[in-house]
Amino acid sequence: MTEPLNAHADTVAWQPLPTRARLLFVLAPTLPLFFVSLFPAFTLSRLLDVWAILPALPLLAAALGAWIGTKQYRHTWWRLDDDGLAIRRGRLWQRETRVPATRVQHLDIKRGPLQRSRGLATLVVHTAGTRHSAVTVPNLDAGDAERLRDRLGRQIDHDDDA
Amino acid sequence: MTTPESTPATTDSVAADHRLHPMSWLFVLLQQLKQFILPLIVLLFFGRGDRNELWPLIGVGVLVVLSLWQYFTYRYGVAGDHLVIRSGLLERSLRVIPFARIHNVALQQSVLHRVFGVAEVRLESAGGRKPEAEMRVLKLDDALALESLVRRRGAAVVESADAEPDARTLLSLPLGEVLRVGLVSNRGMIVVGAAAAAVSQYSPRAMPNLFGEVSGRMFGYAGSHGFGMVEYGASALALVVLVVGALRLFSVLLALLQYYGFRLSEHGRRLTVERGLLGRWRTSASRRRIQAWTLHEGVLHRLLRRRSLDVDTAVAEDGRQQRALRELAPIATPAACDALIEHLLPRAGWSRLQWRALSTSAAWRMFLPSVPWVLVVAAALSWRFGAWGWLALAWLPWAAFKAQRRARRAGYALSDELIAVREGWWSRHWRFAELDKLQALHLTRSPIDRRCGTATLWLDTSGAGAMTPPLRIRFLPEAEAVGLYDSLSRTLAQRPLRW
Repeated sequence: MTEPLNAHADTVAWQPLPTRARLLFVLAPTLPLFFVSLFPAFTLSRLLDVWAILPALPLLAAALGAWIGTKQYRHTWWRLDDDGLAIRRGRLWQRETRVPATRVQHLDIKRGPLQRSRGLATLVVHTAGTRHSAVTVPNLDAGDAERLRDRLGRQIDHDDDA
Repeated sequence: MTTPESTPATTDSVAADHRLHPMSWLFVLLQQLKQFILPLIVLLFFGRGDRNELWPLIGVGVLVVLSLWQYFTYRYGVAGDHLVIRSGLLERSLRVIPFARIHNVALQQSVLHRVFGVAEVRLESAGGRKPEAEMRVLKLDDALALESLVRRRGAAVVESADAEPDARTLLSLPLGEVLRVGLVSNRGMIVVGAAAAAVSQYSPRAMPNLFGEVSGRMFGYAGSHGFGMVEYGASALALVVLVVGALRLFSVLLALLQYYGFRLSEHGRRLTVERGLLGRWRTSASRRRIQAWTLHEGVLHRLLRRRSLDVDTAVAEDGRQQRALRELAPIATPAACDALIEHLLPRAGWSRLQWRALSTSAAWRMFLPSVPWVLVVAAALSWRFGAWGWLALAWLPWAAFKAQRRARRAGYALSDELIAVREGWWSRHWRFAELDKLQALHLTRSPIDRRCGTATLWLDTSGAGAMTPPLRIRFLPEAEAVGLYDSLSRTLAQRPLRW
């Protein structure tokens, strides 16, 4: 498929997200797109007097959302190595963020109801930075999230308050 | 680092024996009233007789009581290497702030403060929305004593150097330089904008009416005399000159108010900036709290052969820039700026940096995104105005020229201590940060990047303002970007965060 952004693949492999996360990724853009498109669909169908627009447009929007969500799910990877945590996202717009373990300020694990029922969790890594002050790894396996939190959190204890 | 004896349990017994200035209630009251005072005056003078308008005065009375209350309940004192602040009578709070955690000390004096010989003190630590402590107001001597205490104790904790070093002036702006600050800045626009906003808040019709009247008179006058083309052109030009001149005058006046008597001085490892004509600001922060640097040179700067040097410090930011230490040199000659950087970052070797320019193909990469836009605009214009619309295509050579200039100017430099980026052609800036201050790395590739084989590397530091240019290296060849990204992340992982 796509060649990786970082060609020198190190010893640690990039981890994909669990298959259980797929539904959440798909739902995230699908639902908003569906509901947002309801209003223009209604207006257009009244204006043009074509009732078929009313179901067609939202369904199209939902399909688009599902496609985007699937792509996002497939192109999200994370990796923990000796340097710290790295997250790679996107295919058209490829973005890779790296938070060195020494720069982690604190960590959050968030679990919504859907995530709880599927054993998933979202990890938020906070740094003191400005633009990337909260780096998010969405819909991780809950066990992985906790292991990541423990590994990255241990580093904070190591460096004393200077 | 902190001794267990000076924990809150013991500090509680330590007398927090200092008080605010006896007149402090007045300033608290004024601060509270600021938002009410104008409507109140308007009501008093323009109200229609029935005395209902005086109800707000009851609110003022309540505010007086509250401010007095605050004065009587607020105490502060020093216990070991902590500052202790007690406030509240019913709901008591005791706050303990270690001196070493205080990033920034800001003293502010308005004209009224100076009349009473008092100052407002704010102690700020990194992050968060609100300052750690806000003392409104202290006697100026007390405020300065507190500031020097923070400076001394903070330094003592960090590097156990007790002897207070002498102050050394690094930069001071004589009157001529302050006028130059006004000339290069666009502060006049801010004044006009604020005035317009304020006027239209009180009467939504005021601004349109004013405009309508002025332009009506002008065009009426011009219309009744029937001037020729040349006269119209000349008067339009005169009008533009007048407006631009007025804006510059505003910004010069504002610069005088804000930067008169600007002095950057150094006490050991702390930097202090003093400035202001009527109101005085005095801000001080430790040198190592500086997170990133911006050196800027606009067109007017170049005409006057000057630059400006700003820094980011990671303090609580509430949008009021005057509080934090931001401007090391509002204006200075390039040599003076370089000397300042060299002095404050002695190990970084600013003047010996090996700058690496972008490859020549980067110009194409910069030029490409503007092509579709120009085509769309030209097509739209030609559809509307006929063949003349295609003149918009003339923008393309200009865009290519601009891209080429910008590509030639852009570059980055990396040393053991520092990473620096330079960008811009018309208005130029250099942005740099110590490696120890970098927080996170981010590598992006857009679809165009993938076609051109380039990538952009973003380096995040704390305390970067919304208006400061980002610290990023754009249009790097992909292999170089990835190499830099990997080596930087390894470096950061090995170096502890110091901020």
